[in-house]
Amino acid sequence: MWKSSTALAGVAVLVLSIASCGSDERDVGASGDEPAPEGGVCDTTDASGDLLAEICEKGTLTVSTDPAYPPQSVLNEQTGELEGFDIDVATEIANRLGVSVAWQEPSWDLITAGSWNGRWDVSVGSMTPTNDRQEVLDFTQPYYYTPAVVVVHEDNTSVTDLSTDLDGADIGVCSSCTYEQYLNKSLDIEGFTFDFIIDDVDPTGYDTDTTALQDLALGDGTRLDAVMTSLTTAQGFIDNGQPVKIVGDPVFYEPLSVAMDKSSELDNATLLEAVDQIVGEMHDDGTLTKLSEQWYDGTDLSVQQ
Amino acid sequence: MTETDARPGPSAGAWARVSGWVRAVGAWVVRTNRRTPFRVKVALVWVAIFALLAFFFWIAQFDNQWMLDNFTYIAKGLQYTLYIALGGILLAIVLAMLGALGRISSNPIAYGISGFYVSFFRGTPLIVQMFLIYLALPQVGINLHDQFPDLFPQTLANQLVLDAAVAGTLALGLNYGAYMTEIFRAGIQSVAAGQGEAADALGMTYRQKMRRVVLPQAFRVIIPPTGNEFIAMLKDTALVSFLGVAVANAEIFRRSQLVGKADFQNLEALLVAAALYWGLTIVFTFFQRRLESRVSRGYVRTSDRLAASSEAQAHGGGGGGVG
Repeated sequence: MWKSSTALAGVAVLVLSIASCGSDERDVGASGDEPAPEGGVCDTTDASGDLLAEICEKGTLTVSTDPAYPPQSVLNEQTGELEGFDIDVATEIANRLGVSVAWQEPSWDLITAGSWNGRWDVSVGSMTPTNDRQEVLDFTQPYYYTPAVVVVHEDNTSVTDLSTDLDGADIGVCSSCTYEQYLNKSLDIEGFTFDFIIDDVDPTGYDTDTTALQDLALGDGTRLDAVMTSLTTAQGFIDNGQPVKIVGDPVFYEPLSVAMDKSSELDNATLLEAVDQIVGEMHDDGTLTKLSEQWYDGTDLSVQQ
Repeated sequence: MTETDARPGPSAGAWARVSGWVRAVGAWVVRTNRRTPFRVKVALVWVAIFALLAFFFWIAQFDNQWMLDNFTYIAKGLQYTLYIALGGILLAIVLAMLGALGRISSNPIAYGISGFYVSFFRGTPLIVQMFLIYLALPQVGINLHDQFPDLFPQTLANQLVLDAAVAGTLALGLNYGAYMTEIFRAGIQSVAAGQGEAADALGMTYRQKMRRVVLPQAFRVIIPPTGNEFIAMLKDTALVSFLGVAVANAEIFRRSQLVGKADFQNLEALLVAAALYWGLTIVFTFFQRRLESRVSRGYVRTSDRLAASSEAQAHGGGGGGVG
C-alpha cells in the first residue's frame, strides 16, 4: 500500500507544519520578543521543581486571554498585537517576575473550566473568583473591580427603579458568567455580599455580552427588555453609537483576579504567592490606578467602591 | 353634440391600436423567450436575486466602510482555513481507504475495528469530537504517565497536549474519514466482480489485485464525492474556532469573531466571513467539476462528448455558471 503510506507521510508533514507554525507565532503581543527583564522575583526565589521554577527556567510566563473583550483585551488587527488593560497588567506581572510574556487565546469556557493541562500558566482575564470556580482554580487578590450595570434600549421609559421595574423582565446576559448567577441569585464569592434586587428573572444566556447587547439594540422588548453587563462593555457599546442606555447606579461591583489551574501537574503554591504579592505591590505603588485610568477613561477601578 | 360626446375618450380606433401594441409586445416577449438561451434566463434570475440582496443590504444599513476596512484581516485567515481543510482531507482519505478495506475484509479484527470507527465517528457530532480530542487526550497522557512512568515518559504525555488547530484538524479528518469510508467501500464494490476474479486467475496476490486492478477503477467512482466532502469540510473548519485557535494563525471564522466582537460589528463580520467561504467553495466547485469530467472521460460516448464541447463553446462566458 505505498499510496496510503505516502499520503500518511503527507498528513504527518502537514500536521507537524501546522503545529510548528503554531509554536513559532505564539508569542504575539506586547513584549513577546523582548529579552527577559532583570531583577524580578525569579532572581531571588528559591523555588525548585514547581511551576514558578519552571516559568523562571523557561523565562516565559504564558498567559491566557480572550481578545474579544475591549477594553480589557483586544486584538489590533493592523499590528497583530494584543492591547488592553488585562494585557498591560499581565505584562507588568511578568516583568516583576523577571520573565517575558507569551499569549494563548483559548475560548472563555475552556479557561473557566480548569484542567488547562499546562497549555498556559495563568489567566489574567478579568475573572471573578466565584466559589464554583474556586473549586477548580486558584485566585490571587482582586486586581480591580468592575461595576455591573443594567442596560435598556434608548426608547425605553418604563424602567427607572431597578429594584421594582425589572421583576419578571427578559434580561440577556453572557451564559455561565457572574451576571447570570446574580440574576439567578446564586452569585457567591467568599468575602463579598450581594444584594439581589431583581426578582423573578429567567435570564437568556448568550455566548458573550456583545451578542446580548446586539439583540437588545434591535428594539425595546423585541427580544430583550434589558441586558446586564459590565459598565466598561456597556460604555463601549454606547460609544459605538448603538441605541441603548445605562439605567440607574451599578447593581453590584465584582472583584476580578488572576487565576491559576488547581489541577496543574506542577505545584503552583509559590507562583500563586508571588503573583498575589505582585498584585498587592501594583495596588500600593499606583500602577493599577494608572493603568485603569489609562484604559477606562480616567476612572480608577482598582479600588473597591 | 352633448358635453359627454365632446370629451376626448378612447374611441374604438384607439382601443384597437392599444390592444394591437399589447399583442405586439406579447408576441415579442414570446418570440424572445423562445430565442433566449436557457443560460441567459438563468443569468437573469441570478441578477434579479442579487438586486434583491443588494436592496436588503441597503435597507439593513450595514457598515460598509467597516467591512472594507476589515476585509483584508479576515481574508488572511484563508490560508489557515485551507491548511486545516487540506490536513483534514488527507487524513480522511487515508482513514477512509483503510476503513473501506476493513469493511470488505473477511478478517474479523479489521472488520470489527472499521465497523466501530464508522459507527462512532458518524454517530457523534463533530464539535463534540473536537472537544474530546482537545480536552481528553491530555488527560489520558498525564494519567498514563502517572500510572506507567517507565512505559509512558513525560515527553510522550506532552505530545498529547495538542494545539487547538491540530486537535481540530484531527477531528475533521477522523469524522470525514468515517463518512468517506462508506464512499470508498461503495467505490471498491462498484468494480465488476469479474475484474477481481481475473486478477485472481492471473495469480495476483491480494495487494497486487487491489493496487493494479480494483483500486484504479474504483477511484473513478471515489474521486468526485471526495471532492464534495472536501468542499463541505472547508466550511466545517469554522468549528475549530470554538477551541480558540491561536490569534496569530486564526482561520476565517475566528478572525471575523475577533474583530466583529471587539468593534460590536458582529453582523458585518459574519457577512464578510460568509462571502469568503462562498467564494472559496465557488472556486473549488469549479475545479471539482473539471476533475469529475476528467475522471469520467473514458466512459462518455464520443458523440456526447462532441456535443458537450460544442455546447460549452456556444455558451462559453455566459452568466449563470456560478454555484
